[in-house]
Amino acid sequence: MNKKIVKLKIKRRDKPDAKAYWQEFTIPYKERLNVIACLQDIQRNPTTQSGESVNPVTWDCNCLEEVCGSCTMLVNGKVRQACTALIDSLEQPVILEPMSKFPVVRDLQVDRSRMFENLKKVKAWVDIDGTHDIGEGPLMSDKVRAQRYALSECMSCGCCLEACPQFSLTNNFMGAATFSQVRLFNLHPSGSMLKEERLEAVMGEGGITDCGNAQVCVEVCPKSIPLTESIADIGRQTTLQTLKNIFMK
Amino acid sequence: MPKRKKKIIVIGGGLTGLSLAMKICERNAEVVIVSYQSLKRSHSVCAQGGINAAIDARNEGDSPENHFYDTIKGGDFLAHQPLVRDMCYQAPAIIHLMDRLGVAFNRTGEGHLEFRRFGGTLYSRTAFAGATTGQQLVYALDEQVRRFQHDGAVKTLEWHEYLGAVLDSQGVCRGAVLQDLRTNTLFTLAGDAVVLATGGPGQVYVRSTNSTVNTGAAATMAYLQGAKYGNGEFIQIHPTAIPGPDKLRLMSESARGEGGRLWVPRTVGDARPPKSIPDSGRNYFLEEKFPLFGNLVPRDVASREIHDIVYNQKLGIAGEPMVYLDLTHKSKDYLEDRLGGIIDIYKKFTGEDPKDVPMKIFPAVHYSMGGLWTDYETDGNGMIEHGSPRNQATSIPGLYAGGEADYQYHGANRLGANSLLSCIYTGLMMCRGIFTYIDNQDKSVDDTPSTTFDDAKNHWESRLNEIKAMKGGENPYQLHRDLGDIMMGNVLIVRENKKLEKTIREIEDIKTRFKDVNCVDSTDWANPTPSFINQLYCMIELSRVIAKGALMRDEFRGAHYKPEFDLKQPSKFDPHEYIDYLEKKNYGDVSEDAFPEGHLEYMKRFEANNDNWLKSTIAEYKNNKPEISYEPVDTSIVTPRPRKYD
Amino acid sequence: MDQRTRDQIHYLILKTHSLTGLIPVGAFLVLHFSINSLRTVGVWPYQISIDIINNLPFLMWIEVGFIIIPILFHSLVGFYIYFSGKPNPFRYNYPHNWMYTLQRISGAIIFVFLVYHLATTVVPKIWYGNIQFAAAPYLIDIMNQEFKTWDGRIIYAVGIIAATFHFSSGLWGFCVSWGLLIGRRAQRNAGYVFALFGLVLAIMGLATVLEFSLHPVGVEATQPG
Repeated sequence: MNKKIVKLKIKRRDKPDAKAYWQEFTIPYKERLNVIACLQDIQRNPTTQSGESVNPVTWDCNCLEEVCGSCTMLVNGKVRQACTALIDSLEQPVILEPMSKFPVVRDLQVDRSRMFENLKKVKAWVDIDGTHDIGEGPLMSDKVRAQRYALSECMSCGCCLEACPQFSLTNNFMGAATFSQVRLFNLHPSGSMLKEERLEAVMGEGGITDCGNAQVCVEVCPKSIPLTESIADIGRQTTLQTLKNIFMK
Repeated sequence: MPKRKKKIIVIGGGLTGLSLAMKICERNAEVVIVSYQSLKRSHSVCAQGGINAAIDARNEGDSPENHFYDTIKGGDFLAHQPLVRDMCYQAPAIIHLMDRLGVAFNRTGEGHLEFRRFGGTLYSRTAFAGATTGQQLVYALDEQVRRFQHDGAVKTLEWHEYLGAVLDSQGVCRGAVLQDLRTNTLFTLAGDAVVLATGGPGQVYVRSTNSTVNTGAAATMAYLQGAKYGNGEFIQIHPTAIPGPDKLRLMSESARGEGGRLWVPRTVGDARPPKSIPDSGRNYFLEEKFPLFGNLVPRDVASREIHDIVYNQKLGIAGEPMVYLDLTHKSKDYLEDRLGGIIDIYKKFTGEDPKDVPMKIFPAVHYSMGGLWTDYETDGNGMIEHGSPRNQATSIPGLYAGGEADYQYHGANRLGANSLLSCIYTGLMMCRGIFTYIDNQDKSVDDTPSTTFDDAKNHWESRLNEIKAMKGGENPYQLHRDLGDIMMGNVLIVRENKKLEKTIREIEDIKTRFKDVNCVDSTDWANPTPSFINQLYCMIELSRVIAKGALMRDEFRGAHYKPEFDLKQPSKFDPHEYIDYLEKKNYGDVSEDAFPEGHLEYMKRFEANNDNWLKSTIAEYKNNKPEISYEPVDTSIVTPRPRKYD
Repeated sequence: MDQRTRDQIHYLILKTHSLTGLIPVGAFLVLHFSINSLRTVGVWPYQISIDIINNLPFLMWIEVGFIIIPILFHSLVGFYIYFSGKPNPFRYNYPHNWMYTLQRISGAIIFVFLVYHLATTVVPKIWYGNIQFAAAPYLIDIMNQEFKTWDGRIIYAVGIIAATFHFSSGLWGFCVSWGLLIGRRAQRNAGYVFALFGLVLAIMGLATVLEFSLHPVGVEATQPG
């Protein structure tokens, strides 16, 4: 067999306001390569296919096992983590682009701080009295725990937002990840004490009503989080909250 | 003592950094968290199996005292005992706190916390959230910090790198030099204390279970600025990871805690598919050798056994360096519920489902027991005085360290599920002491002349400019690989002095090659290369500490295995004999026939070895190289004795 | 206007949009289709029902308040929604993503169709002052003319299919967004039910078109009493 190679085509951008451009690279094939390993290879030999020496491609990554959420990018047009994108299962040339719904920092790096701002807006935390030792936490059935755990695996990677037709670079839609966190904390016995505030936070511009039910979020979620269930559940909670606001206050 | 609010700079956004920040906010001081990336993405998320606390939910008779003993024994008696004991006694409260923060810990039928077994203990002591416990703990703390952020109490500097401490003329740490990783600009930040919660140095080995940020650079920077570095040679090799070209992905010890079994085919080169090999054709090597602890022996033991079965007995799967980790005898629902997280990882990277076929695994560099030397103060009763400014203080005044970045909780080998505990424990515990330290200062950072800060900034500016101007022939990323290969070759499970000497020479070669590095990217926006070259420099320096410490420590202790110095424990030896022996020795000479044959000699060897080597290794950066000295270990609570797990 | 007020208005407008799709617009659609489909049973039942409607008191107010205004509101907000999203079904090729895209396209089609439909029926009706009793024969005459040509038949077939799709898929979306269908299985099963419902409605509509096309019959004006 001939010496196998991997071809990559990468969309690059030197600065946020600079023009994007494409570069192609070839690297030697090895077994079990993933996209990250290819990018590392380019770092060690930053030369394009045409032999031009260039700056190494920059990207974000950390855990390389799909729990940190850093290395999200578009691989062959679809959003996913680059670490679990195995070369053997990808069509070549492998096309890498930064996510399109977040501001690009450089090359494949984007700024996802919007996601974390949204978590602040919906008060995605349990409002504890203090960290001093006041004994056990609330009792909880393992069933509720399992439901919460599934939601709590969200690593704020941004896949659901990138793929969502309602989420854009310029609007203020919160997106599936945020709604799912509202559900997560409303499911916790003490977390639910902030339930109303959380619901009010998603009952406005960019909130739950802006979801278009395309349900792409749940398809692209790498952690198989039941995002559409979360959205429907927050739909129910906000509906009930509306009724409460109108008829019971 | 300053009249304004105290201001503490926390470097690192993992478990230690976040828990400390939370505590500081609660005590109404200012805190700045500096993180290399977004807070939610720190390496702590990679911890899988769980967190230990002797709550004894299953009525097995467990207690914090047992937890303490297991931890000390697991660490081959090299850890300072009062610290470990205090940690183990705090553990239940820590779990309850994390539970209150909303961590989705698995539950019992009645809705209480569920616990599972882990290595190095016979009790079910490990609380867990599926198989992504670290992630869940980080998120819970991150949420609390976000809550304080919302209230304006925390400032976070994400995408910022710590370059070094700002030291005044007395050598007191008055702040930090930081680099904005987006704009690539440098600035200094003044603070009453700086805390390094920067994790471990797995990247020194390149391929490990660690994340890419785990270069250990921040801790090494402190070492280069004069801080003592402790027990560097004690690097934990985790027995079970998936081999891969970019990373060795951890397969949690909880797989064995939930019943997973390690085995290899009994005959050399048996190439049959694993499911078609009958039980009689399988060598469950850990269960056979350690009937008591079985697959749940501590990690150092398991890794050595795997190494032995693969390299000495040549029994690796199909001759490759791999053994089976088998879960297929467990029900699929059970596995999905308890271990879903790691099963997914294995599936995604290998295409095989561990619920159907045994996993193929091999040991990998995982954790550094060593780290920055830090101090502590006991309360005189075998616990820690929590208000003492000495706790977690490095040898540079005002510079603190905690979590994996420190050196003192795990001795020569860490028990599984103790790292999450020590990270959160140090984060929570050190807060009060830091406050006392700030209160006790005659002069505060406000009195520090601005030139001190300017000098520090200028130093780093010229250093990075120097790096940017490097235009040699060596690609820094390739050089890093080469360093990793050298370390991987000889400073791993089995260590031999001859090879270590060679390693040290090879590291010096790397150091020479470093001078010829080419800064492959010299732009000035979000350019990671100069930063990386600086980290590489640190990794080279740290590898010298690790290799030299390993070469000099002529013994076999915990993860540091030198076959040459194996004391050869007799097979029927009972560790209590050693206590007897010490007792008898107190009353005069011990006669040969008081113990089974060979045991007394062994115990004398053991005692002599402890006299020589039951010490912490201290590395200091002097004359451009690591200088090694030794410090006594606090063994005031339990008598060190031979370890035994069968 | 402060953010809080804006948020509340935004929420109410979108919720109302969603609700008007069901009541009264959707309900009217079902009624309209049902009555028209009586034409397939016979001319008289059809005419009688139309006469009943045309004899309702305050008919104009009912038509304006319960049909015209809700439809206008639903359409206007609908266009806001149409332009707030950017469909990507080719990149992310999943069934629901296609439904999402088609929901928007069908909405636009219905709007254009409605302009045509109203311009050719209600507008002349008002223009010529035939508001009251003569409406039925007059409208039927228009329809007969319409269905004589393939142009008219196709326009109506497209309008009917778009409307039934938009309504049944919107009904499903309504149930999800108001939180009536939460579980994945519930959403899927209900999806089949709504698809069947849409199919029945579409058949009713198309059958009516067919009947008009095959058997154009004029009707006489009737007087109340």
